[in-house]
Amino acid sequence: MNAWSVHFSDPVSYQTGLDIQHRLLKARQENKIPDTVLILQHKPVVTLGNRGRANYLLKTEEEYRELGIELFHAERGGDVTFHGPGQWVLYPILYLGGNEADSHGYLYNLEEIAIRTLGDYGTEGFRREGKSGAWTDAGKIAAIGFRLKKWVSFHGMSFNVSNDLMGFDTIVPCGLVGEPVASLKTILGDACPEMGKVCDSLLNHFSTVCNRDLERFDADGEMPPALQELIRNL
Amino acid sequence: MAVPQDLFYAKTHEWVSLEDGIATVGITDFAQSQLSDLTFVELPEVGATFEADDEVAVVESVKAAADIYAPVAGEVIEINAELEDAPELINKDAFGAGWLFKLKVVDESEVDNMLDAESYEDLCPAD
Repeated sequence: MNAWSVHFSDPVSYQTGLDIQHRLLKARQENKIPDTVLILQHKPVVTLGNRGRANYLLKTEEEYRELGIELFHAERGGDVTFHGPGQWVLYPILYLGGNEADSHGYLYNLEEIAIRTLGDYGTEGFRREGKSGAWTDAGKIAAIGFRLKKWVSFHGMSFNVSNDLMGFDTIVPCGLVGEPVASLKTILGDACPEMGKVCDSLLNHFSTVCNRDLERFDADGEMPPALQELIRNL
Repeated sequence: MAVPQDLFYAKTHEWVSLEDGIATVGITDFAQSQLSDLTFVELPEVGATFEADDEVAVVESVKAAADIYAPVAGEVIEINAELEDAPELINKDAFGAGWLFKLKVVDESEVDNMLDAESYEDLCPAD
């Protein structure tokens, strides 16, 4: 199956990311575009999921503002998390309600993408019973939370590469008390790959795991007019 | 995947059983299996009215939230209160004890726009 991906090189505000997702979601529901994956970095932001509990926020709204961290209630599943530059966020806008739905389930597939990406850099990733996401011996490295509307997915997965993990100290990530958060940088140190390489890994594994051939675009480069209209002019 | 023959189906994976102008609505076994273990269900208020295709409910697993749509227009006359403490009933018995809500249907002929079991099965993966 053919699909598109759009890569953003500059960090995107959470609100802009949300607006783009909502536009793509609607266009996908109406079959105006194929399945499309956004891959981007956010400006520093703490987001609460649908059932996210505010007691997992360890700072006041004012303190977050002083730290330069935005605060958002997101309509996705999952609990509280942090996004910031140096972390790849994957937002697949996929129709999951038809014949090609995978019996493994979408959550499993997102975890698989993270685990295989870790494998590219000689790091063992694994699942933990009852705790979703992708884990390493050093802690949790990929967090997942998504929503389906008319069986089209939005929101998705974040994967820590070289981001400042300080933001995670201001929350109880995913509501899991005492569980450390890791990044490729904390695991590999100076051997940590560049963001661009990890982006390629994530998209390659997305393509294999979700069985979609990706036509790749850059947000500031050439792209089909239908897509350009949805991505720009915000 | 076994699908009861006597129900009507929506492309968005809800099922309807219609009796005396009352539509019982749930999500299909395919839908629950894709969402994995459900942990929360947000149901509509009794007395609320919906048009066909309106967002009515939200079901959530640990990491996913999915919107549920009204397959036909109507007024909510009952919700499955057991789901509040036991959302897993949907995973265990999607076509039975895991029903979500009942609608007093405005126009029974609206179910003619829905899929029968055979057409619905064609929509789902072969395994």
